[in-house]
Amino acid sequence: MNLLLASAIAVLIGSGAYLVLRARLFTVLLGLMLVGYGVNLFLLAMGRVRVLVPPIITDAGGPYADPLPQALVLTAIVIGFGMTAFLLALAVRSRSVFGSDHVDGLADSTDSASASDSAAAPPVLVARHAAS
Amino acid sequence: MIATSFSVGVLSSLAPTPIHQAFARDLLVLPVLLPLAAACLSLLTSSILWRRILMLGTTLLLVALSGWLLPMADLGQVLVYRLGNWPVPVAIVLSLDRLAALLLLLTAIVATGSAWAALRGDDQHGPHFHAALLLLIAGVNGAFLTGDLFNLFVSFELLLIASYGLLVFGGTPARVRSGVQYAVLNLVGSSIFLVGIGMLYSVTGTLNLAELSQRVALLDAPSAAFARSGALLLLVVFALKAALVPFSFWLPAAYSAASPPVAALFAILTKVGVYAIVRMSTMVVGTDAAHRANLYGEWLWPMAVATVAFGALAAIGTRSVRRLQSALLIVSVGTMLASMAHGSEEGLSAGLFYLVHSTIAAAAMFLIAGLSEQRDAPRRWTSVLFFVGALSVAGLPPLSGFLGKVLMLQAFPADSRLPVMWTVVLGSSLLAVIALSRRGAALFWGAADAPETSTLTRAREQRRPVPRALLSRVPPTALLLVLAAVTIGAGALSDFTQRTAQQLLAPSQLRSQILDAPGGR
Amino acid sequence: MLYLIVLLPLIGSLFPALLRRASPTAMAWSAALPVIAALSVLAAQSPAVLAGTVVRADWPWLPAAGLTLALRIDGLSWLFGMMVLVIGLLVQLYARYYMQDDRELGRLYALLSLFMASMLGLVLSGNLLLLVVFWEATSLVSFLLIGFKTADPAARAGARTALAVTAGGGLALFAGVLLLGRIVGSYDLDQVLAAGDLVRAHAWYRPTLVLVLLGAFTKSAQFPFHFWLPRAMSAPTPVSAYLHSATMVKAGIFLLARLYPTLSGTSEWLAIVSTVGMLTLLVGAYSAMWQHDLKGLLAYSTISHLGLITLLLGFSSPMAVVAAVFHVVNHATFKASLFMAAGIIDHEVGTRDMRVLNGLWKQMPWTGALAIIAASAMAGVPLLNGFLSKEMFFAEALASQTLGIRWIEPLAAVVAGALGVGYSLRFIMEVFFNADDTPLPQTPHEPPAFMRLPGGALAIACLAVGIAPSLLVTRQLLPAVGAVLQAPAPTFDLGIWHGVNLPLVMSVLALVGGVALYRVREAAYAWHDRLPTVDGLRIFDAIFAAITRTAVHATQALENGSLQRYVRWLLLAALVAGVAPWLNSAWMANAWSTVRDTGVVWPAEMPDAASTAVWLLLVAGTLWTVTSRHAPLTAVVAISTVGLLVSLAFARLAAPDLALTQLLVELVTILLLLVAVKHLAPAAATLESRSPRVRDALIAGVIGGVSGLLAWVLLERPRVPSVSDFYALASLPQGHGRNMVNVILVDFRGFDTLGEVAVLTMAALGVLIALDQSRPPVSDSSAPATQPAQTDPFAEQSPVLLRMIARALLPLAALMTVFVLLRGHDLPGGGFAAGMLTAVMLVVQALAGEAGALRPAGFDLRRVMMGGLMIALATGAASVLFGLPFLTSGYRSITLPLIGSIALPSAMAFDLGVYLAVVGATVVIVQRLGHYGAAPHDAPETSQ
Repeated sequence: MNLLLASAIAVLIGSGAYLVLRARLFTVLLGLMLVGYGVNLFLLAMGRVRVLVPPIITDAGGPYADPLPQALVLTAIVIGFGMTAFLLALAVRSRSVFGSDHVDGLADSTDSASASDSAAAPPVLVARHAAS
Repeated sequence: MIATSFSVGVLSSLAPTPIHQAFARDLLVLPVLLPLAAACLSLLTSSILWRRILMLGTTLLLVALSGWLLPMADLGQVLVYRLGNWPVPVAIVLSLDRLAALLLLLTAIVATGSAWAALRGDDQHGPHFHAALLLLIAGVNGAFLTGDLFNLFVSFELLLIASYGLLVFGGTPARVRSGVQYAVLNLVGSSIFLVGIGMLYSVTGTLNLAELSQRVALLDAPSAAFARSGALLLLVVFALKAALVPFSFWLPAAYSAASPPVAALFAILTKVGVYAIVRMSTMVVGTDAAHRANLYGEWLWPMAVATVAFGALAAIGTRSVRRLQSALLIVSVGTMLASMAHGSEEGLSAGLFYLVHSTIAAAAMFLIAGLSEQRDAPRRWTSVLFFVGALSVAGLPPLSGFLGKVLMLQAFPADSRLPVMWTVVLGSSLLAVIALSRRGAALFWGAADAPETSTLTRAREQRRPVPRALLSRVPPTALLLVLAAVTIGAGALSDFTQRTAQQLLAPSQLRSQILDAPGGR
Repeated sequence: MLYLIVLLPLIGSLFPALLRRASPTAMAWSAALPVIAALSVLAAQSPAVLAGTVVRADWPWLPAAGLTLALRIDGLSWLFGMMVLVIGLLVQLYARYYMQDDRELGRLYALLSLFMASMLGLVLSGNLLLLVVFWEATSLVSFLLIGFKTADPAARAGARTALAVTAGGGLALFAGVLLLGRIVGSYDLDQVLAAGDLVRAHAWYRPTLVLVLLGAFTKSAQFPFHFWLPRAMSAPTPVSAYLHSATMVKAGIFLLARLYPTLSGTSEWLAIVSTVGMLTLLVGAYSAMWQHDLKGLLAYSTISHLGLITLLLGFSSPMAVVAAVFHVVNHATFKASLFMAAGIIDHEVGTRDMRVLNGLWKQMPWTGALAIIAASAMAGVPLLNGFLSKEMFFAEALASQTLGIRWIEPLAAVVAGALGVGYSLRFIMEVFFNADDTPLPQTPHEPPAFMRLPGGALAIACLAVGIAPSLLVTRQLLPAVGAVLQAPAPTFDLGIWHGVNLPLVMSVLALVGGVALYRVREAAYAWHDRLPTVDGLRIFDAIFAAITRTAVHATQALENGSLQRYVRWLLLAALVAGVAPWLNSAWMANAWSTVRDTGVVWPAEMPDAASTAVWLLLVAGTLWTVTSRHAPLTAVVAISTVGLLVSLAFARLAAPDLALTQLLVELVTILLLLVAVKHLAPAAATLESRSPRVRDALIAGVIGGVSGLLAWVLLERPRVPSVSDFYALASLPQGHGRNMVNVILVDFRGFDTLGEVAVLTMAALGVLIALDQSRPPVSDSSAPATQPAQTDPFAEQSPVLLRMIARALLPLAALMTVFVLLRGHDLPGGGFAAGMLTAVMLVVQALAGEAGALRPAGFDLRRVMMGGLMIALATGAASVLFGLPFLTSGYRSITLPLIGSIALPSAMAFDLGVYLAVVGATVVIVQRLGHYGAAPHDAPETSQ
């Protein structure tokens, strides 16, 4: 069981991290969601695993799964939902502003002059091609 | 010196008594609740006038409140507020020590300046600016007050989501672009934060920072390694917030794209990261937990030095006054952390002194940068403001920045790191002077070169209304006046930071004062 | 009292700035009166000081740093203070006429007073840190003064060069002072002066000396830092007369003299100071010879004279010090006078080029006469003050053994002397005589008497001192010299005639050589023009440009705007953080022992089928998401399966609340993705190829592996006693709920929940902000192709069947919501779940064509969300009314008809608030995203 859980976490976080490193915002969003699942499972696992004993007090009493991580994960889920929604909206906006959903708002030249109006404006694009 | 005795007099005139203190403890939750409630109200009304009154009123109220809390905290006894009236390790506690009190006040001051500056029209591109600003303040105050690791996470998320909203507010392409990058980076950061929390909880079974630090000190080797991993993951997150190298490259784009009041407000955000680092390093992985003494220090030092270097280079390498100020913000963060990294009382105290100065100075300078780009703003007064502001951010005499540097350079122990520290600090100051004089001359001495045009385009982009003098010039002036007060009262402030550092470096007392807080069902 | 000396000019700098419209005279008075006052205050101290006592005033400023506001007046500071004030007054008078028709006069006066204040502070400060403060202050104000003519590029360049050099030197001095402080243990001048032996013996002596000297040399324009001074000549002439002859450039000399007792007397001091001094002396005099600009000539001659003084201090014999101090005063007088003369000429004729100027003697004899006196003083002609100090200098040069070679200093002295005579002659002859027919820009005439007065006064002073030195200056010089030496000054006689001796011979040689040099000047110019020019300035600029270039490149290389790179670094850092603690000592063994004693082994029993199935599907779904990322719709389906499987996993891991919440959140998220996908359709070019996939895959794999490994090891470790144990005990009796998770959320850790609701609401606001279309984004017009579809996804007609089902479901769902909400405290459910459920329901309604479902009766859902938050806040605050901490949950059992008695904790109300907030926030988000691109008036925030 532990091994299953651990490996699932590994797969989720690994794939998520890979997607987060992609260049398209939509993909990055997927990646963040995957990482989120993985991290939530990780957090839950931090209370150790107990199957079939939900933290709901029964008259029988007796060992329950650790409720605290569950509460934390629940909070994390909701917060994660909010963040995802916001990033999604921002992605939509960025797409409509730049005409592409590249994470760096590429494919938009008219703006970059004033956007990052350091001497680094046009070179940014060049530098990136070189960099990665 | 008059000012010293004066401020001392003020402190003593309040004469905090136990009764005051009990009362103060009951008010501890207000710095979070007031902005939350105000934010709600501001959405229930539809008139911008009321929203503005709510925003500015709340920030002013917070100034008064935290100004009153400061002497209470200065009595040395930590004020502990047990939410939900549960016994301490269970309940989420808010705890106010000197450090927290100082940063609350700082936040309130900066927030007031920013809120006021926003009235000139940066808040008019939509109805939600005021709520976002208030929620951000709530998050920041929560982060400073909370004594609970996961609650720290929640506060961080609150201030982050609010900052995303404020950053892209107005929706210029520059803001959208940098907003996307800022948000994605911090979302990754949040995941790392959760993992760190999880690891610490799994080996200690608690989230209360005080109890956490107690248990961390007693762990067996493997568990200790887990705790260390967790703590270092948290360091990564906090370093991201504080914009330390290698996590500082997002900052110039974001802060220079944001509207000036927002950028001014963001000056405090990096300090939240610094605060968290100080809190963790003194309390949890503290110097008294023998087998991991000063865990953060050895990682912090190289990062801080690199940060100063990068910031100084970026300052020279830009033609935009906003980016210049962003770079100098990075420099200041690196400088103070380099001084704190050593973990010595003097170094910590000096770093805190410089934190107070550099935050206000940065906020003022972002506002001034905004002014300086308005071709129709009154130039003469703006240029004077720019000059004084430049002095303060560059840490030149006679303003308090110089005093902060004196303290930091003095406090640094005479070991192999000394030459590095002095070279980095003084070198960065020189580069800052050069860069600022260049920008200033270009902006105000009628050398029409690149920045002018670009800022013009930006001004057009944002369709800023012509600022009324009162709204646009008073806030930076007021902030600079605060700096002047800090300069004159430097003696009192440095004594306070000294006491703060002492309190922080005696974590066992802090711990017991929090854990033994009376009450509970 | 003493503070007035500094404060008065400081205050005085306000008046001219304030009354900018006043007449020049009024402005001049407003600036001058405070100075006169300050002068009288200082004069009041004279008797005491000249009697040899040291007057002090102390005030703590930053005790922690040993920085006190200490003023300390001894002979030296008195002499300099007097010089600053007197010449300052004369310059103010001069400026009144020089700039009378300039509307910037007020600014000039303000800055001059400001500079005066900082200069006075510098010379009077009794604390080295304070001295540094004023030191930097002078650099900064002089930056503004040099750049005074802001429209002139030369002025701007000059100002920035001066600032870069002097401020940089100031920082070096700062470091040096800090070192001194560490050695001595105090910055107080008295103690530092007393600690000479300690300092000279200390291991840090050399770095300290070098740093301090860097400060002094940059400020006093010593070789090789001299180049900023000529460039600073673009300042208005009054400024040059004040800063660049009398005061600022003397600050470095002052510093050398001030710290003379502490630092001097070592071989390092002798070597560095006298070498630099001699080089400066020669370079300055040599360069001055070739200048055609009057002020340029004066600037280089200033450099050379400063070098002379430095050289004297380098000799470090008592008499040399006497000569040095004496020459400081003399140089100040004649050079200030000469600058004023140059200013008058420039003012009257309109040029300073000596190739144009000629024969002005006819038109302006008075100015000429005065200038000639001053210039002769500069040349060292007998009966003038310059002669006396130069004699003493020759004597010292002969006496000194500094550089080992006996004749080198005398030779240098004579050469420099000759050059000095040469360029002084040029100044006199080419301006006032040598009349030729070169046309002048303007026909000159004598300036108003008051404009001549200051320069005149100084020239007279040169004459008077030159004739009756012992009468006039000895008494003032003695205490200053004593202060420098920190010992009784040697007895000296400032007589004019010492009989025929070697110094006299040298003077004669210098005079003759100078005249000869002047005779052959044409040839000399020709020769000089053929030489390759080495310009320190150009080198400086080159270095400067190089620094800038590297900075730009470095910045672009690091801060290259690529999010992928930033994220990669962040992830790698996290990896390091996670792994580093395990690598510390013999980590293999460590890890192995960890595995052993934590009993990590292959699971004894195989996991049950169900779990395995979920696991397999989960992995499959994840990989599917990764592979199908380019097909948005497929990807959405894939990731939603993953989400559902995760909620299954939660259920399996005994976390029913999580399962439920995850399920509902997943539904809403899918909806959002589906709505947004049409806006996110991939751009023409998919931009993936940029980042090498393999490397990223590697990084990601390692990260996943490590996190999995950590999780595994932790899972195998025994559970530690946790705060949760308390919940198990307290939930029912004290929290009145069986569902521990829910009790934690609404009671034990209700504050988290509050914050989290705030996050959700802010997220909703963030969505509204991000998609705010009240002002279309700038470049939408530039990219019309990307205009979001102008359609409302909820408007399209949907199948009748769906609508009927949706309608039928409505009451059922509503009922279920209430159920989930109420039972949440005891069984899985609660505010979040219920809220999400309602949201889903409403959205389904909307999709089913009930356009109004998302905004019933058009009212603003943000109010629901904020109202919910308010309810939560109010519930929490209610307990405060009972004197209990915020969020303390109350409890009462009420009896309802039919249902009977049920427990009703106030936490329920809190949960209700949460419910409302969640509903509001979620629906706002969904409908805003859904309506994006539709006409702006759909945007709720414009509904008001």
